[in-house]
Amino acid sequence: MRKTFIKRESLASSVGLIELKGVTKEFGKRKVLEDVNIIIEEGDIFGVIGESGSGKTTLLNLVTGFIEPSEGETLYHSKVTQGPENLNANLPKLKKFIGFAPQHNSFYPKLTVKENLLHFGQLYGVKREVLINNIKNLLQIMSLYDERDKLAEHLSGGMQKRLDISCSLVHKPKLLVLDEPTADLDPLLQKEILWLLQEVNKQGVTVVLASHHLDSIEHVCNKVAIVHKGRIRNYGLIDEVKKPFLKDYFTINLRPGDSKDKVLAVLKTLPVKRIVDEGNRLVIYPNDTQKTVNGLLNFIKQESLYLHDMDMRKPSLNEIFERIASE
Amino acid sequence: MQSLWLLTKKNIKLLLRAKSSALIVFLAPLLTILILGLSYSTSSQYGINVGIYAPAYTDDVNAFMESLQQQDFKVVKYTSTLEECIEDIKVSAIHTCISLPESFMVEGNTPKEVTFYIDPSRINLVWMIQETVKNEFNLKSQEISQSLAQDVLTKLSDAKIQIGERRNEAGAIKEKSSSAASSVSSAQSSLQSIDVTAPESSYDLTILNTTSVDIREALDSIIAAVGTVEDANMSDSDKSNIIFSLEGAQEKLDGVLIAVNGTGAGTLPALLLALQNDVDVAKAKLTAAGEAISSSSSTISSAGTTLQEMVTALDALQTSLSSVQANLESQRVTDPATLTNPLVTRVEKVSKEGTFLNYTFPTLLVLVIMFTSLLLGTILVMMEKNSPAFLRNFFLPLKKTTFIISTYLTNLLFIIVQIIIILGISLFFLEDLLPVLPAIALVLFIAASIFTFLGMAIGYLFTSEETGVLASISMGSLLLFISGVVLPIETISPWLREVTSFNPFVIAEKLIRELFIFQSSLLDVGVELLILVGYAVALFIIILIIESLLHQHLVHKFMKIHHKANLQREQRNKGEW
Repeated sequence: MRKTFIKRESLASSVGLIELKGVTKEFGKRKVLEDVNIIIEEGDIFGVIGESGSGKTTLLNLVTGFIEPSEGETLYHSKVTQGPENLNANLPKLKKFIGFAPQHNSFYPKLTVKENLLHFGQLYGVKREVLINNIKNLLQIMSLYDERDKLAEHLSGGMQKRLDISCSLVHKPKLLVLDEPTADLDPLLQKEILWLLQEVNKQGVTVVLASHHLDSIEHVCNKVAIVHKGRIRNYGLIDEVKKPFLKDYFTINLRPGDSKDKVLAVLKTLPVKRIVDEGNRLVIYPNDTQKTVNGLLNFIKQESLYLHDMDMRKPSLNEIFERIASE
Repeated sequence: MQSLWLLTKKNIKLLLRAKSSALIVFLAPLLTILILGLSYSTSSQYGINVGIYAPAYTDDVNAFMESLQQQDFKVVKYTSTLEECIEDIKVSAIHTCISLPESFMVEGNTPKEVTFYIDPSRINLVWMIQETVKNEFNLKSQEISQSLAQDVLTKLSDAKIQIGERRNEAGAIKEKSSSAASSVSSAQSSLQSIDVTAPESSYDLTILNTTSVDIREALDSIIAAVGTVEDANMSDSDKSNIIFSLEGAQEKLDGVLIAVNGTGAGTLPALLLALQNDVDVAKAKLTAAGEAISSSSSTISSAGTTLQEMVTALDALQTSLSSVQANLESQRVTDPATLTNPLVTRVEKVSKEGTFLNYTFPTLLVLVIMFTSLLLGTILVMMEKNSPAFLRNFFLPLKKTTFIISTYLTNLLFIIVQIIIILGISLFFLEDLLPVLPAIALVLFIAASIFTFLGMAIGYLFTSEETGVLASISMGSLLLFISGVVLPIETISPWLREVTSFNPFVIAEKLIRELFIFQSSLLDVGVELLILVGYAVALFIIILIIESLLHQHLVHKFMKIHHKANLQREQRNKGEW
């Protein structure tokens, strides 16, 4: 099965599922999070990024209700009660709507895949017939069906991660929270897990994940929150988050021997503010990006010149994050 | 060598930096020595509760009770029945029951008997009780023995004084006897000196015969002459005859005349003279004899008086000796065995005779259950705590109590299997077990619950399985140490003894002993049973509290570990950023 990422923006609705309202969290005298206000909407794949110690995990734990805010409140917008409910105050009732996959696998290694899923599913109070169905589906989606009778400890790292996510999904939660789901996995496995998360999201599960792999977040999530020094620095749809960080230049890389002078000459005829010559690489600051790019490409085509590389990317989350972190 | 040192240094660092290990390494010996010190740093008497039963509480009995109390024994007085006292041993209210006689006064050759009632199932205590309490009796016995010996000696002393006093009288009697003997001897000499020998002269009495014959014949002649004369008509011959007779008479009478009138020998005067001489001699002798007799009579009279006095003195002596004899006879204890050992102690067991297995069975049972439950409780909690799935449990819609109870039930299932195996096997050796099996199983169930909760609490408190198990074993050892199994509780210091009476091991073991050895009913041991249940409930609440506190701790720990892991990863993947 070919696993490709698609942006999930279309799945997000305007219905808030979890809302952190003026949340501050202190551990002793240490303020870990301050004045957090975010809404995670139903259908979102919500990414949380930040440096180590920035408060990401605390944010996730607040979302799951694992910890209580020192100030503010975490609200769960329940369709059952037709109104927001304080998550921590109603946690026993709301736990069944939340699935949590911590950073390290959280299942019983001495139980088989099926036993683990049955165990957690039954503890969530899912009816046996429903549970059996859920498990079958999960095993199929997670490609664990053939491993169902294996002891969890005998599974490979990727399988274990999939089992862990399955355990979090066995009761069909509305919200799946994952802490570093791709940590310590090789790139292929990372990709596989992220694809699975998208599959899960397609089935109507809102996903919140924290990860260091910002590329993955960028590929999978529709929304992102950047946590820095205990504060939410940027939060929202990825494009919106990127907006303040959009680049005002593009670069072209020329092969040695290509006519740099000709290129420079034509660029001077185009609406360009500044050109920085870095040898084989030219950094161009256009006044009108579209006109400049079109004029340049036409010229290259006419002159049959070889353009080795042209970079017009919006800034990546990595770049944005680095910029924020360096502030 | 350097590598050896480096490795050792590393090990020390690791040990010290693992807080719980360091705690165990340093605190365990400190705690152990502290408890040992507090337990046995005492010179006070064993904490033995002694029940006393006597038909009447006389001064002797009260004095003995007082002496026991002075020796720090706790004395419980039973006034109604001996059975009540014995029953209290069975419920461990007292350690021994002593049946005392009304009085310790030994009045014959039969020693007084004191009976100890002991619980043979308390093997390590039985001898101690016998030794310590019997010491008191030995002292009492010694005291009585001394008193009896003193009586004998007093009587002997009295006899000695009386005999000493009477010895002078005997001396006087002896002197008087000597004097009387002397007097009698003197009288005897006097009397012996009386000459009662008659003169030995032989008197010729022929003359008297002759004279007598002559006179007879003369008289006959005279009679014949008289006859003839009367017959007047006599012839000549008659006349001649008369004349001849008369002449003959005459001659005879002449001869008598000569004999009577003569002076020579053979004459009557000579004879009479001789007789007179003899009479004189005899007269003198009689006079001397009379004097001697008179003298002897006086002496004998004096001796009689002396003898009379002696009789009086001897009477007094006899009375005195009778008194001494009566005094000595009043000593009723004459048997040396009774004299030296006037109190005899007898030991009675309050339960029927059994094997050592019978006696140790309750202890073994609780011991096995205690260690199994403690360790299993700790291990189960540790397994869950250290399980990767532990964190997920916090997100399950379950109450904390559900997890705790499930751990408890798991533990209990294992323990129940063990109980079934142990009791099943025990039935082969202990035939009496069957009727009390359900009751014992109930007690074991409650005991197992307590120790399981205790083990679970340890499991929640400690971080690593090793330290948890070590702490669990230490806890078991501590409970065992202050349970009376290793050393009797009664030997440890009084305040700690009070504490140990709350030891669940002690209570459970006591309950099973009462149920099994004394065949008590559950109703009889209801209070202890409720205490055990109370323990279980209290520990359950404590675990809830610990678990609740642990949740907070876990959150912090989780954050910390997560933060560390992220930092490490960040450093590792720095290039990716």
